[in-house]
Amino acid sequence: MNKIKTTAGITWAFLGLILMIILFPGLSGFSKSFGTLPFMKINPRYSGGEVAFTQSAGACTLAVHKPVFNGLVRDRNTGFVQVDWRGKIPDQIRDTIDYDNDNVPDFVIAVDTKKPASDCCPLSGRVTGLGISSRTSFGWAARINLRKTP
Amino acid sequence: MDNSSIAVSPKKTFGKALLYTLPMFLVTFMFITGGKPDFSDPARTVAILVTFFGMNLLYFLMHYSGKTDRYRAIIFVIFALTLSFTLIRNMILIRNSMSFSQADILECKIPFCHLVIPMMILPAALTKSIIFPGTILGGFADIASMVVLWLAATVVLGRGFCSWGCFYGGWDDGFSRLRKKPLVKKISDSWKWMPFAVLLLVALTAALTMIPTYCNWICPFKAVTEFEKVTNVESAVKAGVFISLFGGLVVALPVVTRKRTQCSFLCPMGAISTLSNRITPFTMKIDTNACTQCFKCVDSCPMFALTREGIKEGTVSMFCSKCGKCMDSCSRNAIHFGIRGVPAGTRKNFSRNLFLFVSFLFMAVFSSQPIVFTLNSLYNLIF
Repeated sequence: MNKIKTTAGITWAFLGLILMIILFPGLSGFSKSFGTLPFMKINPRYSGGEVAFTQSAGACTLAVHKPVFNGLVRDRNTGFVQVDWRGKIPDQIRDTIDYDNDNVPDFVIAVDTKKPASDCCPLSGRVTGLGISSRTSFGWAARINLRKTP
Repeated sequence: MDNSSIAVSPKKTFGKALLYTLPMFLVTFMFITGGKPDFSDPARTVAILVTFFGMNLLYFLMHYSGKTDRYRAIIFVIFALTLSFTLIRNMILIRNSMSFSQADILECKIPFCHLVIPMMILPAALTKSIIFPGTILGGFADIASMVVLWLAATVVLGRGFCSWGCFYGGWDDGFSRLRKKPLVKKISDSWKWMPFAVLLLVALTAALTMIPTYCNWICPFKAVTEFEKVTNVESAVKAGVFISLFGGLVVALPVVTRKRTQCSFLCPMGAISTLSNRITPFTMKIDTNACTQCFKCVDSCPMFALTREGIKEGTVSMFCSKCGKCMDSCSRNAIHFGIRGVPAGTRKNFSRNLFLFVSFLFMAVFSSQPIVFTLNSLYNLIF
C-alpha cells in the first residue's frame, strides 16, 4: 500500500513538474482556450452591454447600448444605459435619445467636451439622471441611470 | 532516536550544486529570452543578463548551502518591489497618475490581479460573466492569463503560491525580516482563520453588489499599485482604508512580529490557497525520528502553520506556504519538503530538488518581466 501511495505521489509531483514546464511557453494558447469558456466575458455592468443601435453624423458615430439591469440571479430595479460617441467628436454634443426604440424620446444629453461638462434631461419616468460621463480613447462615453418601472 | 536521518543534508558540493543548477539555467534562459535572445538594445541586454544570472546564482546557492528561504526571499521581495514599480511607471506613462479614472473603468482597462478571483467565482457561476472592468484577453494583465497562471500554480504549489508566486507577498515578507527579533511574540494563532471570514464576506458582498468589494474597499496593496482617484468623501475613505491597512498589516505588524500578518490575517486569496494545499503534490513533512522538539521551526514560521502539538505529532497544518523558513532554522533537517504519499523522513533530497525546481521555475519566470523592466528603466535613468 505504501509503495502504491509513494508511486502515486511521485507521479503526481512529476505531472506538476511537466505542467510548470509547459505553462509559460503554452500560456498564450492556454489563455486563449480559457478565454473562450462561456463565463469568460465581462459583465455588462462593466462593459456597458451590447450596442443596440448606431447613428452616424459626419465623422462621429453615436452608439446606444442595450439597457443594463443585470443582477446576480435576476434583473435589478435600477440600471443604466450607455451612450458612446466615437470618432471625431464635436466640442458641443446634444442628442435626444430613444434608447428603447419606442419612438418616444427618453432623455436629452448635452456634453461640452472642452470644459468638460455633461448634463442629462430626463424625458421619461424611467430615466433618473446622469451617471458616469467621461472622455475615452475612442471619443466620449456616458451612462444614464435608469429604473425599470417609472 | 534514529540519528541516521541527520546525514541526509540538503547541502551539496560545488560541482553537484552546479549540476543541479544547469537545467534551471537552460530553462530560464529559454523562458526569459523567449528562445530568441535579442541583444540589440544594450539597456535591455544588461537587464536580462543581470536578472538571468542573478536568479540562477540564487538557485545555485539554494542547492550549495542547503538553505531555501534565505535565497527565495531575495527574489520574492525584489518581485514585489519591481512589480509595483512596473505598474506605477506604466500607469504614470499612460495616465500621468497612479489613480485610475472613470474612462479606464468605462473602457475596461483596469489591470487584473489574482486577488479578484475569490470575488468572481460566484458571479461567474450564476451570471456567466466576470464582475471586473478588465480585458479578457490581450493587453496588460488580462484576466484569462492571470487566472491560468494562478490556477496552475495553485494546483501544483498549493499555498506555496503565497511564497513563490504572489507578487504582493514580498512586501510583508520583506518587512517581517527587518528586525532580528520580534517585539511582539504572543499572537493568538486563531487569527489565521480570519482570511476565511474575509473570503466569505467578500465573496458574498461581491456577488450581491456585483462589485469586487475587496478591491474597492479593503485591498492594502492599492496603496502601492493603483486606486480610484480621490474626488469625493467615498473615494477619500477608500484611500484612507488602503493606506491604513498597508501601514498596519503590511508594514508595522510584520516588523514588530516577524510574521506575514497581511497574508496570515487578511488575504482571501490565501484562504483559497490554504484549501488547495490539500490536493497539491508537494507538502512539508516532519521526520519525528530526527526532530529534537526544539520548536525553532514553530517560532520561525511566518504563517502560523506550525504548532508545538503539531510538531510532536509530526504534522504541518494546511496554512503552510512552503517558504522553507522552518527548514532553514532546523539544524537536523527534520522538517523537510516532501511529496504526498511518500513517508516523512524518506527521499528528503529528491523531494526538495523536485519542489525547488518546480517552485523556483515558476517564480523565476513569473518575476522576470517586472525585474527586467525595472532594471532596464534604472539603466536608462543612470546612463
